Amino acid sequence: MAPSASVPDMNPGRRRFVKAALGAIAAVIAGVIGVPLAGFFALPALKRSERRWLEVGPVADFVEAEIKKVLAKPLVAQVWPYETPRVALYVLNQGSGKFTLYDIHCTHVGCPVRWNVQAGRFFSPCHGGVFDKDGRVLAGPPPRPLDRYEYKVEKGVLYAGRVHRLNAKLEFEGWHHA
Amino acid sequence: MAPRLTRVLDWLEARLGTRQQVTKFLYRRLPVGTTWWHTLGSAALFLIVLQTVTGFFLAFYYVPSPEHAYDSLVYIQKEIPFGTFVRGLHYWGASLVVSVVFLHLLRVFFMGAYKYPRELSWVVGVLLFLVVMLFGFTGYLLPWDQKAYWATVVGTHIAGTAPLVGDYLWRILQGGVEVGPRTLGRFYAAHVLILPAILYGLSLVHLSMVIYQGIGPTPRGPLSRIRNEDYARLYEESKGRGETFFEHLLRDGVVAFLLFLALVWMAATWRVPMEEVADPTDTQYVPRPEWYFYFLFELLWKFPGGWIPVATFYIPLGAVLVLLFLPFFDRTTGRSPLKRPVATGIATVALAIMAALTYQGASAPAPPREGVAARQEAKALPPELAEGQAVYDAQGCSACHVLMGAGSAAGPDLTRVGARRAVAWLKRFMKDPNAVKPGSEMPPYAGLPEEELNALARYLAALK
Repeated sequence: MAPSASVPDMNPGRRRFVKAALGAIAAVIAGVIGVPLAGFFALPALKRSERRWLEVGPVADFVEAEIKKVLAKPLVAQVWPYETPRVALYVLNQGSGKFTLYDIHCTHVGCPVRWNVQAGRFFSPCHGGVFDKDGRVLAGPPPRPLDRYEYKVEKGVLYAGRVHRLNAKLEFEGWHHA
Repeated sequence: MAPRLTRVLDWLEARLGTRQQVTKFLYRRLPVGTTWWHTLGSAALFLIVLQTVTGFFLAFYYVPSPEHAYDSLVYIQKEIPFGTFVRGLHYWGASLVVSVVFLHLLRVFFMGAYKYPRELSWVVGVLLFLVVMLFGFTGYLLPWDQKAYWATVVGTHIAGTAPLVGDYLWRILQGGVEVGPRTLGRFYAAHVLILPAILYGLSLVHLSMVIYQGIGPTPRGPLSRIRNEDYARLYEESKGRGETFFEHLLRDGVVAFLLFLALVWMAATWRVPMEEVADPTDTQYVPRPEWYFYFLFELLWKFPGGWIPVATFYIPLGAVLVLLFLPFFDRTTGRSPLKRPVATGIATVALAIMAALTYQGASAPAPPREGVAARQEAKALPPELAEGQAVYDAQGCSACHVLMGAGSAAGPDLTRVGARRAVAWLKRFMKDPNAVKPGSEMPPYAGLPEEELNALARYLAALK
């Protein structure tokens, strides 16, 4: 056993003062550097407004009652990367100007779902998730229907916005990325 | 010793004064029963240092941005002399580190070496194990090929299923709402700067602890059951009869060397798997994790719907907490695995489950890509069956069923379904699975045209 360290002869008042002063210095350093660093790290990830709208394509491209995979183009230009990568989504033209835009990721753990035209279903390749044409869960482990994009039509062009979640009754349940 | 070397050492001693510590360190006595199993820690350290060195060199050419990451790796492999070999060392070395670190953990567990007075060595060791797994997870993304990208999408989604904070965790891990340039930047910084700092910091603590407390001996004879108050006496006694660390160092060296040879062989002869460049818009890709995460990926099968967080959060978190605090709730005196049947039993069951899940993950057939034949047919089918097979392929049945080794194992294997079921039953079942077999997960195919349903049922019934 190592001998226990004893506090050498030092004025207790001075000792308290040195402790408090060192503690204060450490706290100021940690705060002044810590707050900006935390923001630097986390805030870009939590930013809401980024890439607000994606250009999906002319409305005329979508045949009624059919599902089509589209590579949508982000509208917001950014400083970097110069080329904004396209975003894949499934578009279902519901007719009379209504659309449903599905996120391609399975709501289980995010594997890309494939639309099978003949079967009229979305299949996930990972754990057997199956969704119907409206995105309802037909089989497998997914906890909720396929996520959807909000959308707007302007001058005959379809745009996709933020992604939101639905409950089992296909009702809005909240922004996915909020 | 050569006189010149002696002079150099004397010169150093006059300035550093470390000779005595070094001598004490090298010639300290170890307890009886320090075996080949006791080399796993130093083997892990050796492999980690090797990973660090190959990592330094890979960083010379690797570029952590989605536009260039993949090409920079192709460049390393195609243009840089020894590029394939150096990357191979790092790639296969990662699997070796995970394996050896895990074996080291098992050695310490089964020899009861986490008990008094080494509880904190164990806690730090578990943290090191987690850091190593994080190295694996973050490093996996860096090549930015399809499997890297999609494994990370699944990984961050899994983090996103955490209760309450899931959504924030998901975004903070990814650096946004998708796996993109910020994700790659984060994972890169973690992999090459933050995690190494933590790893070496914790390793230093871990090592100074083993030097201070001495290595945990094989729990045999008087050491198979130790009361805390007897520990110091028994350990000293055992050390009195044991060999020196310098002698044991030869075992460490031999094991490190054998691992090194194995790694060099792997890097020189095995191809590092590299897929197409990551494509976030590909909806045909089948994500798979690295083998040491198979158990988690397979565990997801068992907990559908609202139970998902059990597999993605509660079980992993519970397992980590149990591991971390193991020394504080297992305070029995038994050190030999036979003298503490409860701990040994639980661990064996857990290991068996992990092994089974890993095997399941390793042997799982992958669903075929669209447009690629679902299976290799041994012989051409007669036309009335070929029709049914076409329906099987078109309807995406292989998304949930395995047929002759191809498909996904969500539902039953249909390779020999005809031996179990007749045409009429199959037809009724596909129309309304739940009515025929209550609780069936299969979605109904009542909307399928009658003739297609007939053809499909005939085809399936012929599979014997």
